[in-house]
Amino acid sequence: MLITQLKSKETIASLASGKAFIIICHGCKEVSFPEKEVAALVKELTESGKVTGSITTDYICNPENMKLRLEKHMGEIEEADVVLVCSCGVGVQTIAEYLENKKVCACCDTYPLPGGQGVTPLEYDCQQCGECYLNLTGGICPITACSKSLVNGQCGGSKNGKCEVDPDMECGWERIYRRLEMVGRLDVLKCPTQIRNFATDVDVK
Amino acid sequence: MEDYTKYKLKERDELVSLLADKDHLFIVACNKCFKEFQTFEEPDCDEFTELATSLGKHVTGSVCLDFLCNKTKTTKSLQEMIPEDTEHVVVISCGLGVQTVADLEKEKFPVYAAANSLNYRGHHGMALTKKSCDACAQCYLNVTGGICPIVDCSKSLLNGQCGGAKNGKCEVDSSKDCAWEKIYRRLEQQGRLEEFENQPVQMRDFSKVNFKTTNEYVKSIRENRFEGYYGGVHPSERKELCEHAELKRFPDPEIAVLPVSMHLGAPATPIVQVGDEVKVGQKIAEASSFISAPVHSSVSGKVIAIEDRPHATRGVCPSIVIESDGKNTLDESVKPNKPLEELTPEEIIEIVKNAGIVGMGGAGFPTCVKLKPATPVDTILLNGCECEPLLTADHKTLLAFADDIIFGLQAILKTTGAEKGIIVIEDNKPDAIALMEEKVADLANIEVVTAKTKYPQGAEKMLIKRVLNRWVPSGKLPADVGCVVDNISTVKAIADAIRTGMPLIERVVSVTGEYIKNPGNFIVKLGTSTKALIDACGGITADKDVTVKAGGPMMGFVMNDLEAPIMKGSNGIIAIETDHTQAVECIKCGRCVDVCPMELKPLYFAKLADEENWLGMQGMNVMDCFECRCCEYICSSKIPIVTKIKAGKNAIRGMKK
Amino acid sequence: MRITELFDSGEFVVTAEVGPPKGFHIEGLLEEAKTYLSDITAVNVTDNQSSVMRLGSLATCKALKDEGLNPIFQLTCRDRNRIGLQSDLLSAAMFGIDNVLCLTGDHTKLGDHPQAKPVFDLDSVSLLHAVKQLESGYDLGGNELVGEAPKFAKGAVVSPCSDSIDAQLAKMERKVAAGADYFQTQAVYEPEKFIEFMEKAKQFGKPVQLGIVIPKSVGMVRYMNANVAGIHVPEEMIEELKADKEKTKAGITGVEIAARIIKECKPYCQGVHIMALGWESKVPEILKLAGLR
Repeated sequence: MLITQLKSKETIASLASGKAFIIICHGCKEVSFPEKEVAALVKELTESGKVTGSITTDYICNPENMKLRLEKHMGEIEEADVVLVCSCGVGVQTIAEYLENKKVCACCDTYPLPGGQGVTPLEYDCQQCGECYLNLTGGICPITACSKSLVNGQCGGSKNGKCEVDPDMECGWERIYRRLEMVGRLDVLKCPTQIRNFATDVDVK
Repeated sequence: MEDYTKYKLKERDELVSLLADKDHLFIVACNKCFKEFQTFEEPDCDEFTELATSLGKHVTGSVCLDFLCNKTKTTKSLQEMIPEDTEHVVVISCGLGVQTVADLEKEKFPVYAAANSLNYRGHHGMALTKKSCDACAQCYLNVTGGICPIVDCSKSLLNGQCGGAKNGKCEVDSSKDCAWEKIYRRLEQQGRLEEFENQPVQMRDFSKVNFKTTNEYVKSIRENRFEGYYGGVHPSERKELCEHAELKRFPDPEIAVLPVSMHLGAPATPIVQVGDEVKVGQKIAEASSFISAPVHSSVSGKVIAIEDRPHATRGVCPSIVIESDGKNTLDESVKPNKPLEELTPEEIIEIVKNAGIVGMGGAGFPTCVKLKPATPVDTILLNGCECEPLLTADHKTLLAFADDIIFGLQAILKTTGAEKGIIVIEDNKPDAIALMEEKVADLANIEVVTAKTKYPQGAEKMLIKRVLNRWVPSGKLPADVGCVVDNISTVKAIADAIRTGMPLIERVVSVTGEYIKNPGNFIVKLGTSTKALIDACGGITADKDVTVKAGGPMMGFVMNDLEAPIMKGSNGIIAIETDHTQAVECIKCGRCVDVCPMELKPLYFAKLADEENWLGMQGMNVMDCFECRCCEYICSSKIPIVTKIKAGKNAIRGMKK
Repeated sequence: MRITELFDSGEFVVTAEVGPPKGFHIEGLLEEAKTYLSDITAVNVTDNQSSVMRLGSLATCKALKDEGLNPIFQLTCRDRNRIGLQSDLLSAAMFGIDNVLCLTGDHTKLGDHPQAKPVFDLDSVSLLHAVKQLESGYDLGGNELVGEAPKFAKGAVVSPCSDSIDAQLAKMERKVAAGADYFQTQAVYEPEKFIEFMEKAKQFGKPVQLGIVIPKSVGMVRYMNANVAGIHVPEEMIEELKADKEKTKAGITGVEIAARIIKECKPYCQGVHIMALGWESKVPEILKLAGLR
């Protein structure tokens, strides 16, 4: 589950120099998908006679069902110089692998979505850091709630409780401090100096 | 299938030291997501409980929940579940689950994580493949032939490979292909090397992903998701196909086929025989029980058969077949009633009952039953949402019969004694909203409410929650929370029955979909064949891969026989592209849970139905499901969940008998 | 010379800071430092201050040292990972630079390369820990250093007038635990707040240098009030700056205010750190007015 935004008009125009087949994936539309913008793009390209065909579908990241759906469009794809994909990066990669000999291009940029690693967009996020710090922070994630992902307390940058990077964002470490105070666990701040381990991914694969 | 399980228990040593100064633990475990759906409850909870107990800790309780990061449901589930004597809450889940529990406002316990999230790079899609995306906000796939340099290259290099690859493998992990060698080969294969060489130097912009952008998205997404009621979806509306098509009267059928079942409940009993002459509005079958409805002839002519005929929702159904004489002679019973002011509630109910009026939004529940609720009601909701994509029949009815609708609503208010009538229209019909608002401007007891579009807003329980913020409990009816919901077409029929005495013999139908040549909206006599309607719209424009449905794309029924007639609940006929997909394994993505407006867990229904575990389904409240199909719509594995749910519901109904 | 030795001997330690230029000619900087700062204990050299790319802190430190000044090497975690940071610490040791000030660093988005990737592999606390680790003869990876272990006076910073004093103290405690030998503070304009803070910070037993930023103009203090973390210039002080425009413009008001704050706070702290922000020439005057020279 990710957020996508259409690339700039100029970028897309430069991609669609020849004839194009367009694949639109809005499986994650309930999250966010630039539906109207994409429709306008398809319309514009179609009117300029550059489109051999298009398909609107969902979950192209599932290769089996994607193949079934593309089957009847293979002629149109054959005819195109480029396949334009409106989806997140996973979708584009899936199509690019399937149509290995074809120039496959992404029309969208993909943005992360807090909570998207789980099942629903949330105000908070988990970056799958592999060494959960939530025990030291009263359940507020210092990796995602702090702009600098600091693990030993706040920097000197917060002003009026807000982060130096974005005045709309609360200082994560001030929140952590308040939470710990509330649950009576300020003692955890006396834990040893924390140093992150960026080598944790070896555990997974 | 890749396994994107999010967490694993921390090492024993770490857990021991975590628990060292803690006792009276309550344990919350998440049943994991994005993995093959095999077991209902993951073993980690038991493992941890065992460890805690072996350390002499008192465990005050434990619970395994699905999708812990689903804040709404977790909040509800944990309400009053954590015992008083608990001092610490330990959560076994990825960081999202822990934060969700730690964030519960009511629970002021210190919350701890007993698991580490598993570290992997990037975000996966909704199918568990090896591909992932880092959401860098500046997609480079166009430069690299569709292979991601951010995720696939250990160093996320953008301008070509480093010198570290050995035998085509990455210096960081010798089992991993060098991404840039793959990219090079792919570009070479496509003859795009020159294009690559000519690329300007690429530099990442790390300021693109920032709190402001993502936070704004989350806010708006969550607002959308929870607008009015939990869950729901926003399928493409595509109403433009026929919302501007003028409402036309469709020619009367030469042969009208009137099924004895066009409603929920017992089939009506025919009271005519083959060879009988009938007139327009004449009752030809009568209600056979309390929940049933009579059927009236929509044409004048001769009964030529009473036999099984194709039926849109039941396959076949006994039907009364009438050959029209083309004269449309009105039956003597069709005559105006007394003015509304002079009618008693009982008289109105009797009129509605005799007119064969049933819910015309599709459900077909006999309207007269709703008009005498067992408990007092204060509000009547008129459903003019038409949240089904494509369909515009209710929209057209609102525009063409505004006065009738208001008259019908007044009649219902009088009958039920409710104080207030609310006409609810979704915001995608601004002309209907403006018209109705103008019409009710001087009426103190009727108002128009505009609802933000979201499917299935038109469902009774959703509508009540959305407009009145009342929740109809499981197994209860709207009347139990003081309201009655009627579709606007139904109300229009009530107005007709009172004013002209005409029973329900026609309705507005949308004929639309991308494969209908000239989509349109028609006033159609019941019993008209679907095929005739489609033909009148120029027919279907493709010869294969077309699915025709009676109703909308979400709740409509696939029609196998286009001879099936238009019925009381036929709000639309659509011809759309057949979806060539196959159901694959459930991956516990949790999206069905996220969208189910009844707050059920559809993924379990699919699994339990496969195991024929009907009692299990009943235990998870499958009977609350009203088959809105949101779960199936959102299902990333394309599992026909609703079909499985229906099987379960049928089996459970069978068990009762 | 490590400034910790002076704290130990009970001296009221005076330091000031200089910011390297965006370019590699530092004759001007050196000339100023020699003229106005040779009299003080040590000179901090900022590390790409405010995330604006400039000449390196270490190189500037070396140049100052060659001119006979005692530099304090400021080191932030924004631009280097733990490998780069430890390597630079060893380089500093080689040059005989033995004063470091460990900071987290401003975020990249605040500076002149907002697109840059911020590192923050370590933070101020773990950087102090890393310095201590090097002093023990090992690096953060647990590998033994070859030959003599370096020795530093490990400085850290704290914001005594921040909105959340308790959180600041908690962090200060962590820094002490990680090895901080002394502290320099964010600019102070409210002596009473500073004194209150020092009452609480006493418990850690580490010397603290009062931070001073000379208030140059009304516009500058208003900007700081609105944008700079941990700084609040009270309204009366702004009035004071407004009162005599010519005097303020000449820098006299600012110097007076700075000297007054130092005088008021002196009994409660172990030194003063002046961030002159280009007004290095005023430092001797401030010290004189404050009775330190």
